[in-house]
Amino acid sequence: MPEYAVEMRGIVKRFPGVVANDGIDFALERGEIHGLLGENGAGKTVLMSVLYGLYYPDEGEIVINGTPHRHYRPARAIGLGIGMVHQHFMLVPRLTVAENIMLGQEPTKRGVLLDRDAAIRKIEAFSQQYGLPIDPRARVNQLPVGEQQRVEIIKALYRGADTLILDEPTAVLTEQEAESLGEALQRLKAENKSTILITHKLREAIGMCDRITVLRKGRVVGTVHAKETNERELAEMMVGRDVVFTVHRSERTGECETALTAEGITACDDRGLEILKGIDLELRRHEVLGIAGVQGNGQAELAEVLSGLRPTTGGRISLGEMDLSGRNARAFIDAGIAHIPSDRHLRGLVMTFSLRENAILGRQQEKAFSPSPFWQRQGAITRFTREIIDAFGVKTPSAGTLAQNLSGGNQQRLIIGREVTKNPCVIIAAQPTRGLDVGGIEYVREQLLKMRDQGAAVLLISMDLDEVLTVSDRIAVIYDGRIVATRDPDTVDRRDLGELMLTGSLSGTPQPGEAT
Amino acid sequence: MLLRETGLTLLSISLAFGVGCIILWAGGYSIPAVFANLWKGAFGNKISIGQTLTQATPIIFTSLSFLIAFRCGLFNIGAEGQMYMGAMTAAVVGIYLKLPGVLHVLVCLLAAGAAGAAWGWIPGYLKAKRGVNEFVTTMMLSSVAIYFTDLLVAPRMFLHDTRYGSNQTVRVLQTAVLPKLLRPTQVTWAIVVGGGVVLLVWYYLFRTRSGYELRAVGQSPSAAEYGGISVKRKIVLAMCMAGFVAGLAGAGEVLGTHTRFISGFSPGYGWDGIAGGLIARAHPVGVLFSAFLMGALRAGSMQVQRSGAAPGDIASVLQGLVIFFVIAPTLIRRLIRWRRR
Amino acid sequence: MNIFTIHLLLRTLRLSSPIALIALGETYSERVGIINVGVEGTAVLGALVSALVSFYTGNAWVAVIAAVIGGGLAGALHALWCIQFRANHVVSGVAVNILVAGLALFITSALWKSRGTSASAPTINAWYIAGSALVIVILSQIFIFHTRWGLRLRVVGEKPEAADTAGINVHRTQYIYTIVNGMLCGLAGAYFFNNLGYFVNGMVGGRGFIGIAAMVIGNYSPVGALGAALLFGFADALQMSLQGYIPSQVSLMLPYLLTVLVLAVLIKRAQVPAALGKHYIKQ
Repeated sequence: MPEYAVEMRGIVKRFPGVVANDGIDFALERGEIHGLLGENGAGKTVLMSVLYGLYYPDEGEIVINGTPHRHYRPARAIGLGIGMVHQHFMLVPRLTVAENIMLGQEPTKRGVLLDRDAAIRKIEAFSQQYGLPIDPRARVNQLPVGEQQRVEIIKALYRGADTLILDEPTAVLTEQEAESLGEALQRLKAENKSTILITHKLREAIGMCDRITVLRKGRVVGTVHAKETNERELAEMMVGRDVVFTVHRSERTGECETALTAEGITACDDRGLEILKGIDLELRRHEVLGIAGVQGNGQAELAEVLSGLRPTTGGRISLGEMDLSGRNARAFIDAGIAHIPSDRHLRGLVMTFSLRENAILGRQQEKAFSPSPFWQRQGAITRFTREIIDAFGVKTPSAGTLAQNLSGGNQQRLIIGREVTKNPCVIIAAQPTRGLDVGGIEYVREQLLKMRDQGAAVLLISMDLDEVLTVSDRIAVIYDGRIVATRDPDTVDRRDLGELMLTGSLSGTPQPGEAT
Repeated sequence: MLLRETGLTLLSISLAFGVGCIILWAGGYSIPAVFANLWKGAFGNKISIGQTLTQATPIIFTSLSFLIAFRCGLFNIGAEGQMYMGAMTAAVVGIYLKLPGVLHVLVCLLAAGAAGAAWGWIPGYLKAKRGVNEFVTTMMLSSVAIYFTDLLVAPRMFLHDTRYGSNQTVRVLQTAVLPKLLRPTQVTWAIVVGGGVVLLVWYYLFRTRSGYELRAVGQSPSAAEYGGISVKRKIVLAMCMAGFVAGLAGAGEVLGTHTRFISGFSPGYGWDGIAGGLIARAHPVGVLFSAFLMGALRAGSMQVQRSGAAPGDIASVLQGLVIFFVIAPTLIRRLIRWRRR
Repeated sequence: MNIFTIHLLLRTLRLSSPIALIALGETYSERVGIINVGVEGTAVLGALVSALVSFYTGNAWVAVIAAVIGGGLAGALHALWCIQFRANHVVSGVAVNILVAGLALFITSALWKSRGTSASAPTINAWYIAGSALVIVILSQIFIFHTRWGLRLRVVGEKPEAADTAGINVHRTQYIYTIVNGMLCGLAGAYFFNNLGYFVNGMVGGRGFIGIAAMVIGNYSPVGALGAALLFGFADALQMSLQGYIPSQVSLMLPYLLTVLVLAVLIKRAQVPAALGKHYIKQ
């Protein structure tokens, strides 16, 4: 039996304007858990997409179980025993777990009709064998994210995967859920399955993997054994310089009076189910309040409710004397609440509009830009756009360039410039650093802290717990649509935090050897 | 950017004509004869040009109608019906209201626009409030409007002109008539109104806040909502404006070309408006060009029919082909790349 | 039981069938993510081709088959434009309608020297088509919800990425079912011809769009489409019965008014396939 489950030699993959993979050699030993580490854009997902057959490599060779293969599609990769669990799940929300899993390999009665029962039996067998509990009959859109991930893994195993590729699997999990995943991976290893773990989280890589390969800018920097390295070394390999782990958060200046209050907020999600079940929050000036929580507990809806994009079903939102409950986005904007939305392509920008038209999105009714509905000061708008471009470092050929032609980082700079120059008293920042590179992330965090220093109340919602801990002055934990705790980020216990995020409360019983 | 768009459109038109030639050849028709007559009917002499402009005039309005809705992300294919409602209203106001000259015309136009706007409001409201697909509702209401107006001028109905057998009203008062512009052609002042509306629509869409908001809704309703824009209100507004402009098309025909309401007066100007809006790539100024093209095709087709070189409807086929080629962005680009090799 | 009622019932069943076929066809194509508003034009094409082929071959059965093929070609054209050339789905469908309308006028003028009307040609009993519509609907219901091809086509319309990574060819699936859509519309067109005996401009009269409305009301399922089609067919049948009692314009208006009313009242935003109308780009 060949020593390597998978070998990739000299892989080159080019896209317009960028070489995503620049001559990569990668080898996966049978039965190992191999981490693929790198920043956003280092080429990890591209490399694995090549392995899975979603992309054809421009150059290079792929050897699976000792046999070379060229130019195959995912159907073939599945046949060769390679399964991929994507970062954004490839599950059809409206269908059941069983239907999702059996897709492409459906068991049939008399060759024509779907045999759902046979599929369910097989799925339950896998679930037992690998310790991954799921309900085959449930609809995917009713499952929590952690269970959806288990479905994805079983989907790969159902198709006979010997090699599993997991793309940023813990991005949507808490510490405890990630531990469960780690245990599941160990069980897979015991069954002689090989796993590739794509991640940009150092701690996770060291904790879960046997070996780690670090990619930077499309090339392999090195391959090390997890036990023989540490986070600092890996970080240096990833970024090429000594990484500063924390953005400097200065002491707070100025009074901390209350800016925005939310009392007993309830709201429903897009399916009509209640997702916010009584949120109580206080945003204070000169303070960054960070929301920690696992995706799906209502953070996204909270951001929408606090910016007027989602109606509430109960409770009260007030800005000082003003009652904003039940008002629309226009009212919130006029009240001085700025919003950096989590999805800049959907909400933050009109992608097919030019920069200057995007610069006034949400501000088009200001007298400086438009004294009446039928008169727009084009010159003023252009000048304003240029100011933002200069002040916030937006790299663009001109103010007339279309938003979709800018990189993600520059798009975010425009949005931040637009929101910040409003001089708002409240900023709702939802996933503000998503999809940005290290430079971009640092910049955004600096801006948020700058706003805080200038007196704004900043609400930071982020999937990245490290980010929340670093940037916030105070943390609130959201669980099942409620704020279950507030903590000081500098002194909070990470395990406590994880437990609060996952279960909504602390078990209270100290484990042996742990401090209370 | 604008130059490239124009170039692409011209290329599309050429390709369409090319396929049209193939069809003519397959049918055994003389391609030179057909095109010669097409040209003659559209541009041959003053009368022909007049015919082209006369046919183009209502199409300017209906193209704008489709365009305004399209810019808001909506498909108004009911311009034909909105035009009929406008036409009927213009006739009624033109016959029964007594006002001095220019004022009477203006009031008729506004009333016609209002009727069209009301007819456009219905699908707009249903879409905004209940999420009903405006494509189907505008189409349905279009048929309703055509039957309804036909009913109003049927024999024994109040508006029917008893001197004639066909379904039509009496002549509107002289003060309501849009006078002829270019004797001896049939072109009336309606075309000037059309040109004016083109400019107004351009200004509205690209130089006003309301127009900016409307376009934002068309490009990204979610971002528009984020920007504090009321998507529902804009949808209703867009449909009302689209109906208004289509109503003006009807007024132009009633007050100018026919000086009365005649049932079935439109040979499909509403549908030409869809083509006109698409070929203009939803640019108001482009509408002048595309409406002119449609008018030329119509005028030319009459001559082709008269000459017997081929069925005049080849023009309709050409129109359909042009749309097909105009709407496929990557097709044209691929062809250009293929040519360059 | 008086004759008026039986007549009405039979007429309802008959007149529902083309609407049901079109609604079913549109269900197939929208379930794979392709909006096809060109169903109106495709039905017209089907009627035209039926008349043409029946006229020249004298065989009405061959004409039906030709209509189905012709409809399929129109569907293929639309699919090509949407998938390969990334045209806006609705706009492409509108283009089909306009092109077919022009072709109908041109061909009838060229061949029969009368704008928009064809000569009479041999027909088959339209009940054959009506009956087959029922059978096709039932088979489709089983096909879409209880076979593996049905599962796959549903996934393509809901989440093409998921289908792609499961090894399903998204674009090919979209082509196939859009062509199926076209074929069903072609068959509906054949019904219109065989019902009347010749082709005349306006014989489809917006029933393509009513079919789309029926699909929406039927919630993207074959059986639902049939139910909604029966409703509209009833309106159509009723309208014929009322002629003579009320002005013809009023009775002619009824099906269209009814469509608007039904849509306004019964619309649910439930089951629209999630990836409808989007261009899927695979690497």
